[in-house]
Amino acid sequence: MLNDITIGQYYKTDSPVHRMDARMKLILTVLFIVIIFLCKNFFSLSVMFLLTAVSILLSKVPFRMFFKSLKPIVPIILITAVLNIFYIKKGMTLLSFWVITITTGGLYTAFFMAVRIICLIMASSLLTYTTVPTLLTDAIERLLSPLKVFHISVHTLAMMMTLALRFIPTLIEEIDRITNAQKARGADFESGKFLDRVRAMIPVLIPLFVSAFRRAYELSFAMTCRCYHGGDGRTRMKQMKFSAADFLALGVFLAALAGVIVLNYFFTALI
Amino acid sequence: MSSFIEFQHVTFAYETEGEQPKPVLHDFSLSVEKGDFVAILGHNGCGKSTVAKLCNGIEIPQSGCVMVDGLDTKVEDNLLAIRQRVGIVFQNPDNQIVATIVEDDVAFGPENLGVEPKEIRRRVDEALKDVGMYDHRFAEPHKLSGGQKQRVAIAGIIAMQPACIVLDEPTAMLDPRGRKDVMKTVQMLNREFGITVLFITHYMDEAAKANRVIVMDKGSILLDGVPRDVFQQCDTLRKAGLDVPQATSLAQLLKQDGVSLPGKILTVEELAEQLAAVLH
Repeated sequence: MLNDITIGQYYKTDSPVHRMDARMKLILTVLFIVIIFLCKNFFSLSVMFLLTAVSILLSKVPFRMFFKSLKPIVPIILITAVLNIFYIKKGMTLLSFWVITITTGGLYTAFFMAVRIICLIMASSLLTYTTVPTLLTDAIERLLSPLKVFHISVHTLAMMMTLALRFIPTLIEEIDRITNAQKARGADFESGKFLDRVRAMIPVLIPLFVSAFRRAYELSFAMTCRCYHGGDGRTRMKQMKFSAADFLALGVFLAALAGVIVLNYFFTALI
Repeated sequence: MSSFIEFQHVTFAYETEGEQPKPVLHDFSLSVEKGDFVAILGHNGCGKSTVAKLCNGIEIPQSGCVMVDGLDTKVEDNLLAIRQRVGIVFQNPDNQIVATIVEDDVAFGPENLGVEPKEIRRRVDEALKDVGMYDHRFAEPHKLSGGQKQRVAIAGIIAMQPACIVLDEPTAMLDPRGRKDVMKTVQMLNREFGITVLFITHYMDEAAKANRVIVMDKGSILLDGVPRDVFQQCDTLRKAGLDVPQATSLAQLLKQDGVSLPGKILTVEELAEQLAAVLH
């Protein structure tokens, strides 16, 4: 069971989206979020919906993966939809009953919001499905490095993130080992009330914390021995390079942005 | 041959709050020759791990000094140059791997030194080939065995092209096969590349493969010499809480009972050969 932990939710396959520069994917995801909030009517929204669909198809990540990432968001989508239906009173009245009035305007807005949230989730999942977490932290470090001017050490933050990712499987293994050791000493994790079970975790958590601190201590020695002295004067083995495909994707997204602005201008705004 | 690492009358104590610091090393002097393979043996708490940490300035002696290739570890500006010359491999491989992919981890040292990307690539590939882990270069470290992880850690050190490697009980957490692989790798590095090796261990059979064995007890050197001579001192070794190689121990018992075994015996094969000669 412990041998197939995948860190993050990277979906391993080979596709044009996987091969793209992580920095460009990050930029495009942010750009996507901005554009989708600029959409004012169904015509401009459909442009973004199309863009999402094409990106997903190009990524070769199966649809069920995206459904999986949507699942926890379903309640949020439903609640916003219901609120929109009941509170927005615009256009033709379809149903009027007691205090409830449902209008066409309410239905349109509810549908619009739902599609927008779904597109948002899909696009951000696409980034994490197609990019290895370490490359992502790397990309963040490189993109935010100009913040050095404000004395913000982006390198330190990125290094912390990388190390956290690196130690997730190690610590999961450790939890497993400690749990088994405590079970062998007669600890009971399965029965009892909720509070009893929470209390039963204490003998697992304390050794875990102690060992995590010891690991951190030893790791700092090992890093010092390998001449680590912060981000100054550090080089990287793997250089990130934008390819023609990256710029093509950027072009497509900018065209979508232009399209959205034009469509917003020519058609009446829904929201 | 010139001495590469030199401990000159080193005294060292860990600082503990509220207590009188107990010296781990007291007036400790040692000099390690360039290209040598030195094993340091000792019981738990005899100060052998402290010796490792003093070698590249992770700990600084309270009195006396440690010189590496003519550089004093007390001088802050020397530290980077010293750490590039002397790499340390620790006991737990999990706690010295920093990246989620093997080749990225090996690149960590040279990246810190500011080496050119192309040169890093070359060094990483070479280091991984040297330790026999090139086929696993894209693997995730937590999916490797202990011995493989430790070899990756060694590759991470040799990618910095150090003149000396200090290994602090690198095999203590490994299974017999992992121990053998790591030992073979270290011997190869010493023989083929002339890298000075300081091998800290409590396994007799590993120490027996060194050119020089130093036995430590209570922060000072008890015995120092070639393995064949050191291991004949059975009583001194036992007093320091160490075992004696089985073959040597048996040979000693046989000698006490009047069997005439001429040479200094270290391995099972040697003992078998000599016994066969006596019996015929």
